[in-house]
Amino acid sequence: MEQKGFTVWFTGLSGSGKTALALRLEEELRRRGLKVERLDGDIVRQGLTRDLGFSKEDRDKNIERVTFVAKLLTRNGVAVLCSFISPYRDVRARSRQEIGNFVEVYCYAPLETLIERDVKGLYKKAIAGEIPNFTGISDPYEPPENPEVMIDSSQETEEESLAKIVRKLEELGYLSPTESEKAYTEEEEALIEARLAALGYL
Amino acid sequence: MGFLDRGRSKKKGRRVVLVGLDGTPYTFVRRLIAEGRAPNIARLAEQGSLLRMNSTWPWVSSVAWSTMMTGVNPGKHNIFGFVDRDPSSYKQFIPTSRTMKAKTLWEMLSEAGKRVIVVNVPVTYPPRPVNGILVGCFLSPSLEKAVYPESYVPTLKSLGYIIDADPWKARESKELALQEVNAALDARIRTLFYLFEREKWDYLQVHIMETDRLHHFLWQPMEEGDPVYAPAFYEFYRRIDEMLGRLAAKLDEHTTLLWMSDHGFCTIKQEVYVNRWLMDMGWLKLRHIPPDPQKGLEEVAPDSIAYSLDPGRVYLRVRGREKEGCVAPGAEYEQYRDEIAAAALRLRDPRDGSPIFRAAFRREELYHGPYLEQAADLILAPYDGYDPKGALYKETLTYKGDELVGMHTYDDAMFYLGGATIPQTEFSVVDIAPTILQLMGVPPSPGLDGRSLV
Repeated sequence: MEQKGFTVWFTGLSGSGKTALALRLEEELRRRGLKVERLDGDIVRQGLTRDLGFSKEDRDKNIERVTFVAKLLTRNGVAVLCSFISPYRDVRARSRQEIGNFVEVYCYAPLETLIERDVKGLYKKAIAGEIPNFTGISDPYEPPENPEVMIDSSQETEEESLAKIVRKLEELGYLSPTESEKAYTEEEEALIEARLAALGYL
Repeated sequence: MGFLDRGRSKKKGRRVVLVGLDGTPYTFVRRLIAEGRAPNIARLAEQGSLLRMNSTWPWVSSVAWSTMMTGVNPGKHNIFGFVDRDPSSYKQFIPTSRTMKAKTLWEMLSEAGKRVIVVNVPVTYPPRPVNGILVGCFLSPSLEKAVYPESYVPTLKSLGYIIDADPWKARESKELALQEVNAALDARIRTLFYLFEREKWDYLQVHIMETDRLHHFLWQPMEEGDPVYAPAFYEFYRRIDEMLGRLAAKLDEHTTLLWMSDHGFCTIKQEVYVNRWLMDMGWLKLRHIPPDPQKGLEEVAPDSIAYSLDPGRVYLRVRGREKEGCVAPGAEYEQYRDEIAAAALRLRDPRDGSPIFRAAFRREELYHGPYLEQAADLILAPYDGYDPKGALYKETLTYKGDELVGMHTYDDAMFYLGGATIPQTEFSVVDIAPTILQLMGVPPSPGLDGRSLV
């Protein structure tokens, strides 16, 4: 079957697990033989959108350009994984509309947890006032109202979160269901096949 | 999305205990009642609704129970038979709970904070986590791997619980078949009452697979009134009747008893080898005669138009979908589908000229949803007595063996609901999950295909 292009859009506060999950999903999709491209906030801001800052206007422009790239890739049969804080609801709605095959994954964790985790040390700086317009601290985040998948990284393991996304992609027809994880070892499969054969099902 | 519901207080609703009687026909149970062979069932039938129910197409347990447990059609849950194939490689595989894509009744109940215990329902291996206990079905390779949480394995072992009767032993002789199914039934009943009395639950479902097994091996001797096997068959059902009576006596006023089967049963007149027929018609060619059994569908030659899997599922070799597919999607596809469907309806039993198939469904007539593409292109529905088989190569179109003598039927499944009247006269297994959710006061997930009967 020919690969259908789609974009998985990870949104959520800094440190909520967007990039980590996108990396896991990338690995899983490549294992299944899909063409994958990952667009990450931390990467594109070093190139494609190097000239932009973090004002509302610049953030919108950042997402606008990324959306354009994701749209081109999606319509050419690529699985695109975008991880951006993308805090504004109307901007994400526009990306959804532009891209079409759009799967929104809301990465959530309570703010206290994120501040405690502070993987990149950004929250500390933001709270100290060293980073202006920091989403969740000094800039608003508008959570999605109807994301295709919701992840709570304070409650779920990465495995569980990944399984939820994969299951949704299968449900939406972007991944072939026959690719599902194997449930049997070869020996076990032979045993079960023999059982089914005895009952006349094979 | 379970975490969103965590901490939500339990809504009021009834507790439900459901006993699955795999393949027990409604009409057979009515006959047992009429002949005075099932006094408990007779009494309970008067205190509730004992009704005839439709199965699924095809009427195999994997499809029917997947439909029961999800409340959606196979186009949404992705289970179409006991075997399936990857069209891009022709590798066959056994669909499992990982292949099943829809949320189960017990997952919905778990999310609503209900405690559930589910035992032995087909297509529940590997066990998917629930708020409670789940014991996988006869497709589990071992008890150790079949149980969620794993810590419950020792308890089941102490109860002498077994995954399945040994079907190969059962094929050796009818005596052995009886021994095997009775021993498995012992374990099932012991486990049912242990769980009922000793565990906490809001929903308890225990599946008796042994009814189906008994029927496969002994339905014909029972029907023919065999002096040895017919009484043994009725004795087995006396035990089922006793189990249901004993269970009903233990219910409190907050608990509702349900039992159901997933399809009916009848005696096999002839097995029908659909691939043999496709070969005779020139639609299927094999690379070698006889084909190498290790290679399975890889023995299908590239210029074949169609092939079949059990029971009566016919796949066209569509270009772009199937490995080396040669049927063009669109007009050519439809033309072949029409031709094969029409020819199936014309097919006659070579012995007496009886028609074999009563319908040839195009998949979109039966299924809808995101997994429609995985379904067979045609699903052939036989008349009762003709059992369509998936063997890739047989020398004859039909055959009648003496080991497996019973086969499934579509419109003779059974549903029992204690203490309530069901007005509907025509319904199917897809309606059971919504009915149970309604009884237990849990709102159904969006997108269910079935409707509550209460």
